[in-house]
Amino acid sequence: MSVTPMNKNAPLIEVRNLDLHFGAFHALKNVSVSFDSGQLIGLVGDNGAGKTTLIKVLSGIHKPNSGEVYFAGKRVKEFHPKLAIKFGIETIQQSVGLCDNLSIARNFYLGREPVKRWFGIPFLDFKKMRDASTKVIRTFGLRENVSADDQVEMLSGGERQSIKIGRAVEFKNRVVIMDEPTNHLSVREREHVNELAQQLRDQGLLVIYITHDIHQVHKLADRIVIMENGEKVTDVAKDEMTADELEEVIRCGGRVVDTSKEVEPS
Amino acid sequence: MITLNTSAFARRPDFGAIVGVIMMFAVFSLIDFSGWWSGSTLGNILQFTAILGCMSIGQAIVIMAKEIDLSVGSVYGLTGIAFITLEADLGVPGAIIAAMAIAGGIGFLQAMAVIKGKIPSMIVTLGGLFAVRGLIYVWTGGSVRSLPAESRAHWLTQLFGGELFGIEAAILWTAGLMVVLSLVIWRMKFGNRLLATGGDENTALSQGIRTDRVKIRAFVLCSLLAGFAAILTLADKPQTHVTLGDLMELEAIAAAVIGGCLLSGGRGSLLGAVLGAFIITGVRYELISLGAPASWYISFVGLVLIVALIFNQSLIRWAGNRA
Repeated sequence: MSVTPMNKNAPLIEVRNLDLHFGAFHALKNVSVSFDSGQLIGLVGDNGAGKTTLIKVLSGIHKPNSGEVYFAGKRVKEFHPKLAIKFGIETIQQSVGLCDNLSIARNFYLGREPVKRWFGIPFLDFKKMRDASTKVIRTFGLRENVSADDQVEMLSGGERQSIKIGRAVEFKNRVVIMDEPTNHLSVREREHVNELAQQLRDQGLLVIYITHDIHQVHKLADRIVIMENGEKVTDVAKDEMTADELEEVIRCGGRVVDTSKEVEPS
Repeated sequence: MITLNTSAFARRPDFGAIVGVIMMFAVFSLIDFSGWWSGSTLGNILQFTAILGCMSIGQAIVIMAKEIDLSVGSVYGLTGIAFITLEADLGVPGAIIAAMAIAGGIGFLQAMAVIKGKIPSMIVTLGGLFAVRGLIYVWTGGSVRSLPAESRAHWLTQLFGGELFGIEAAILWTAGLMVVLSLVIWRMKFGNRLLATGGDENTALSQGIRTDRVKIRAFVLCSLLAGFAAILTLADKPQTHVTLGDLMELEAIAAAVIGGCLLSGGRGSLLGAVLGAFIITGVRYELISLGAPASWYISFVGLVLIVALIFNQSLIRWAGNRA
């Protein structure tokens, strides 16, 4: 297999003809899509549309049956969460990402713990872990009395999301994938998380924002990608279609579009 | 400020076991002061606590990773028998190394079956419990074996089975292992990843942690500690029998649970596991010294386990309300 050279003009993430089966279930059907840095992408679709499967490939959890994935123009051949983290791809999910049984400081550095050597033995560097997570607690608007040593189970849903987003920024990630980041959050917390998503984009990161709520994401996103039954059915810049038009696309299973645009039958 | 510190202390996983030990001392002092405080009773209790405690530390580590190891009693037996049997050919150092290698190997095989075979550890290690016990019967043919006098005097045998400043070596070894492994669990990378793997495996995976490797290490460590407990036992009293270590796996699990390990993973304490072993052993010896039939002992372990769990649960709730 030839080695694909690095290409500076290549999109940050490019996926070509991705196919993935789970037994008889065809989860991804010939999906091709590419994403650039400094964009906030709204990835929308119903349950089972394949959006979560797609991002699980990007975050190294699933290996596709066929098709290619390129990161910064370089072909990705191995799929493991550890590699995705090495590339700087962080996935933020509602139910995953923080261990309830550990303190904020321990969670913050989970998997990349800093160490300080005592007599040559690498012990955890708690000072560094506390300092960095305290900074995030203060910048990302958690309650005043929350400390880095508190167990994560004491935090609200919005505070948890803030910690995860703060962690993505701290470790200088290039891609932040947010999977339904505002589920079960209060109105104010939702606004806060959405603001953070836009800040990440403004800092030049690629943000892939997955949701059911087309109206919410239409306000934030630069581009909207709609998936249906494992296929990409729509990929438009935000100005090309209104939220209502896009909702109509989702409602009709991605097959019918308003009269001003024709979609070729696949 | 003081209330904050006490509630932080009460939230320690081993708080229940600490209170339990204090209560045990109080109750046994009240009902049988001279018997409980006699040097031989406490000496025996501490000696056996050290051996069960060594095994319980390993069990606690596996439980923290949200797995369980039912095979430790059989591994303890096989390691002990391997040590005594192989000593004739390999000498004391060689036999100890070979016996520990067997223990670690069993732990590794079971871990692979759990990780690669995707079989629950409860089932794999239940199989291990039977299979290894069967090996003991096959290997020994039911015979009793023992070390020759010159091997009992070997410095390594004395290092694990002798005394230092009048303290049984096993007590010092288990105390040392508890301190070192507690540092590994609470102050090093491996511990942070072990607690994360047990507390929330999907999160651990999402942060790039190789949870399979973490679990393999936990199982191997657990088997090695069970094997080491057998070395500590047989270096002191070098005689084997086919039931060596029978039911000890259940005592080790009980000790770990009394010590604050949650079977749901991610929470526990090695100090608690050793204190749990102390409570179980203390109850056993005191029952015998009070003249209760020895056959009651196992029922009392069960009772102590259930009472301790209820106690731990209400403590967690109480500490949670005060936070």
